[in-house]
Amino acid sequence: MNKRRIRTILAVGIIATFATLVALTFVSNYPVPADSQQYLARPLGETGASNRVAGIYLNYRLLDTLLEVLVFSVAVLGVRHYLQQSEGMSLPALSESEVVQTAVGFLSPLALLLCTFFAIFGHISPGGGFAAGVIAASGLLYMAIAHGMKAMEARLNPDRLALAEKATLLILLAFVLSPVAIGRVPLTDLLPKGTPGQLLSGGSILIYNILIAMKVFVGAWAVIAVFAQHRGEL
Amino acid sequence: MAAIVAFMLFGLGILVLVLRRDLVIKLLALGLVNAASILFFVSIGDRPGARAPIQLPGEIAVLADPLPQALVLSAIVVNFAILALALVFVMILVERYHTTDSTRIEQEIAREIDEEETPCP
Amino acid sequence: MIARWILLALLPVVAGIALTQSRRLSAIIGMGLFSFILAAVYVLMHAPDVAITEATIGAALVTAIYVLAIRRTGRLIVVADEVPSLMAREGDHITGLEYEILEGFAREIGLDLSVRFVPLRRVRWLIAHHEADMGAGGIIHLADVEGSLCATPAHLTTAVYAFPTGKTPIEPPDNAPDYEGYFSELASHCQNGTLSTVATSLDLARVLALGRTGASLGELDRVDGAFGYAFLVAKRRTELQKDYVDYLHRLRASGRLDDMIGRYFS
Repeated sequence: MNKRRIRTILAVGIIATFATLVALTFVSNYPVPADSQQYLARPLGETGASNRVAGIYLNYRLLDTLLEVLVFSVAVLGVRHYLQQSEGMSLPALSESEVVQTAVGFLSPLALLLCTFFAIFGHISPGGGFAAGVIAASGLLYMAIAHGMKAMEARLNPDRLALAEKATLLILLAFVLSPVAIGRVPLTDLLPKGTPGQLLSGGSILIYNILIAMKVFVGAWAVIAVFAQHRGEL
Repeated sequence: MAAIVAFMLFGLGILVLVLRRDLVIKLLALGLVNAASILFFVSIGDRPGARAPIQLPGEIAVLADPLPQALVLSAIVVNFAILALALVFVMILVERYHTTDSTRIEQEIAREIDEEETPCP
Repeated sequence: MIARWILLALLPVVAGIALTQSRRLSAIIGMGLFSFILAAVYVLMHAPDVAITEATIGAALVTAIYVLAIRRTGRLIVVADEVPSLMAREGDHITGLEYEILEGFAREIGLDLSVRFVPLRRVRWLIAHHEADMGAGGIIHLADVEGSLCATPAHLTTAVYAFPTGKTPIEPPDNAPDYEGYFSELASHCQNGTLSTVATSLDLARVLALGRTGASLGELDRVDGAFGYAFLVAKRRTELQKDYVDYLHRLRASGRLDDMIGRYFS
């Protein structure tokens, strides 16, 4: 028995035992957390969003979401910073066959449409800003695959996009802090809640969804573009 | 049921993370661990006979617990952020050592340290 | 309910198969599939928000990022000095015997070939510092090559000419083609009279190339001995060396190498 095999068996054994123990503990009788029931017990009119998840995500626990946006921004910043230190090999951009181009001409508008839908209706139906932004970015990714990265960069100025990303983040923060101006606690939702189920309901959730969608769209696209550049071709 | 599958996936992820030496596969395994914990959280919120937590005013129905779902949404996004950064670091390592094998990278680093510590004649 | 059980049972199977793949691309695509199944499970567990986010981020974006990152590692980077008919630019693309050999080799081991042209003295440095995988462009392996590099078996025999001491052997023409690297360096050193600091000898391909540019070559003495063009590889890249030796052996056995040589040198 060589050393490596003993190590493998040990690792398998320890992890399997651990996982089984933890699983048994949880599965046998995990208590339903009492706190989480409170959210469902609260009246719907409190957030005005008929999507209860969006209500928690962007109203009761807005601070979590803001920090999540911040983490995302920091990651985008880090990706850009570290990859721009190493020089990418820029090869001529390739473009795909006509079949792919035609399919993309059909798929990309669909992706942008879905993005708009998820962002605007995030408080009524499933969806939300993050998914919307990522869908839009993948729509652009389709186009980049079909027409090449160079053509995309000619159309979308990376510097302007970076500016837009920072501007969206600042607008988001300013919007969150705006209640301070009239002497209220930050993160307070000042907008009327409306009737749940209507488009104009849920207070600020609609605005947060749209802002987050824009932010995530630009950020995700920036990550894709940097990775594509450093692969050299797309 | 789903919780058991989640723990199986968690164990599998950790196992692959420990045993395979390719850094990219290690990252994939880390993603699997993350997915397993998300699955566990979602399975907590689910109840028999429940509906998706979307409610119209005046409607009374058994809804799936929205809190774990809301918490887990952040986890997915944060997972993506971590992954993108980790991939960049792997790319930098590969650029320098021309391998994604973690053991070989460790050997290279040890060798480099040795070289630095050898005194000049 | 049955659908949920089937999908749940599929999850560990798919993950297990994906993560035991030896090819990274297969593993990544397998995990993309895993994410899609997971999204379906979330829908069946009444978590549509999580399902949408998982499908867009986990299945689409993460897979795309992985694939983009992977291609960078899947590349054979070759640094070369420009030598006509061995490895030279012709308009947008590169031609030459060495380019053809390396292209076939890269395809054989599943990598994309990427060639960068640098001056000859940079070639060795770049390989020794792991900035590139192989060095090419009329390299003749002499015994005094630095310690961390080694040469592959020669793919083409050649001759070497030494400069007679005390004379300027080459008169570069006024309108020499703009070969970067070696030739421009050679020309400038000829004019300054500092030729012996860069080179004491020239190989056949370069002599021929210089002759074709219209440079007037003075007397050159042929050096005795057998010489051959080879590629440079870092010594510790033993796998790459082994793969290449196998490939060259097969190329020679099938007679394709002689075809190529005939096409470029006839």
